[in-house]
Amino acid sequence: MKPTPAEQLELYTLMVRSRVFEETAGALVVSGEIPGSWLSGIGQEGTLGAIHQLRPDDYLTYTHRGAYGFIGRGSDPKLLLAELLGKRTGYSRGKGGRHIADLEHGILGKSGTIGGHAPLAVGVATAIQIRGGDQVVMSIFGEGTSNRGTTHSSMNAAAVWGLPVVWVCENNGYMGNVPAPMYTAVMDIADMAVGYDMPGEVVDGNDVLAVHEAAEEAIARARAGQGPSLLELKTYRMRPFGETSTDLRDPAEATAWRAKDPIRRFRSALIESGVLTDGATVAISEAATAEMETARSYARDSSFPAPSDAFEDLYA
Amino acid sequence: MRTLTTSQAMNEALREEMRRDPSVYVVGLGLYPSTGDSATNGLVEEFGESRIRSAPMSETVIAGSAVGAALAGLRPVAELHLADFAFNALDEILSKAGKWRYMHGANGAMKLPIVFLQGIGGYVAAGAEHSQSPLALYWHSPGLKIAVPTTPYDAKGLLKTAVRDDNPVVFFTHKLGDSGPVPEDEYLIPFGVAEIRRAGADATVVATSYMVTLTLQAAQNLEGQGVDVEVIDPRTLEPLDIETIVDSVHKTGRLVVVDEDTERCGVAAEIGAQVMERAFPALRAPVGRVANPNLPIPYSPPLEEAVLPSVAKIEAAIRATLT
Repeated sequence: MKPTPAEQLELYTLMVRSRVFEETAGALVVSGEIPGSWLSGIGQEGTLGAIHQLRPDDYLTYTHRGAYGFIGRGSDPKLLLAELLGKRTGYSRGKGGRHIADLEHGILGKSGTIGGHAPLAVGVATAIQIRGGDQVVMSIFGEGTSNRGTTHSSMNAAAVWGLPVVWVCENNGYMGNVPAPMYTAVMDIADMAVGYDMPGEVVDGNDVLAVHEAAEEAIARARAGQGPSLLELKTYRMRPFGETSTDLRDPAEATAWRAKDPIRRFRSALIESGVLTDGATVAISEAATAEMETARSYARDSSFPAPSDAFEDLYA
Repeated sequence: MRTLTTSQAMNEALREEMRRDPSVYVVGLGLYPSTGDSATNGLVEEFGESRIRSAPMSETVIAGSAVGAALAGLRPVAELHLADFAFNALDEILSKAGKWRYMHGANGAMKLPIVFLQGIGGYVAAGAEHSQSPLALYWHSPGLKIAVPTTPYDAKGLLKTAVRDDNPVVFFTHKLGDSGPVPEDEYLIPFGVAEIRRAGADATVVATSYMVTLTLQAAQNLEGQGVDVEVIDPRTLEPLDIETIVDSVHKTGRLVVVDEDTERCGVAAEIGAQVMERAFPALRAPVGRVANPNLPIPYSPPLEEAVLPSVAKIEAAIRATLT
């Protein structure tokens, strides 16, 4: 079912907020204020079409890339940026950096190992099944992660146990600068679903409404106790692997994908259908910019942890 | 008092805890149909297939799903069968279970109440990948608790404590098993409290699991030769009851640590170092170590015997501290 105009505006606003957050974080990496790294998801915000449909009591496991998981679930950009700056006020009290959990919003943490979150998603879904609820787990991963045994073992287990997992593969075609044919046997990751007896669907990941439609079906299936599904979102990373990495991909290819920028496409469609006006577009962008500037100030003004904080939080 | 095997004692612990708390469940390979003496024998009949969850052949899934379920509020018991197999799930056990709470700054009061059951030990002609006792590997890694019960009594009491702990516990039992008295009434054994298996005045020996059995035999042999050995079983390595060990060394002046794991960077090295830091002036001889001399465990019984600790090797190590 197509989202209502109000839902479409909400979705568009999330996409813009996510992008402005990422631009803000990227600049803070370049300036050195973020002592670690940030792996940008700019260009892949179409995934919000799936994330946006989760209920507050659902769960999300996310990849190493992008802010849209947090923004889409309602995490606070102030606490996200504070964490990236290594501040005590951050989500992980300065101990995690990009490894962020927001349990209040069903985001259970970030695996440092690529694909390490897949078996965890199986476990969260197991908990749902044992309790007897109708929540779902959305587990996002990249096409490179489809190489990992953790991914395959987990897809098999989710299918065997009939678990409410929605596997969402963001296929951006590259592992760093290495193109997918060099590391993946099939070019449609959705084909892997056949091996685990679940539906698999290829979706234009830069068409947020198409993502929305496909995810709606997969989520409904999971909620109804009909087991896992695999969605593959074809997309493209518009930034280098990391904010300070060298990008060796073909510039012509990048230009072609930029024309398919999911935010730009959605904006055009919304303006054409009368849901969005030029004035509202500007207002949404300005509000997002102001929000992220406030978040940045909060992060900058926050204190670093005390050395003694390093000795806390290991055991419950 | 009735006599139970270690598996029967653990079975009772799981049954009692699962009755007490609906958030406890077990996941592992081949949990049913039951084939006899195992920790999960007969549990599916009482608790059903959802809570006695038979897993695909993937330690990654068994351990990793336990982590996920714990994050979502359950108390999983992950039956990994052999420690050798659990190497397939080291990312899940060492990094996810052990480090996630810390790495995420205890966000949302995050806790990871998981028990990872692992069988350890050689002396069964099973070869290098079915005989390991990697206690030090887990002790080396932050964030885990480690229980190494010797007797069925301890196995039951420690397992009940492990299930109720809000932290991940790696729970090692020796594949040779044991049998011994277990009371009918409910009891728990706290972590971090060593048991003095045998009181003695001449030398202190620290050992866990089957090494306690071997050490008690060595102590008995030495008793006939006028050597009075104190045998301490820490029961949990993390937390470690170092005070009881140090107190004993103050009394005896001599320390030998027996460990079935490889010697290098091992349990004996760690306990020896901690004792030297705290009680160096009390030591009247170098700390002795009896452990696997850094070799894969071979199959043929004479070779296996050459590599693993034995009563004779333990006796010799104790004697060396007395000369």
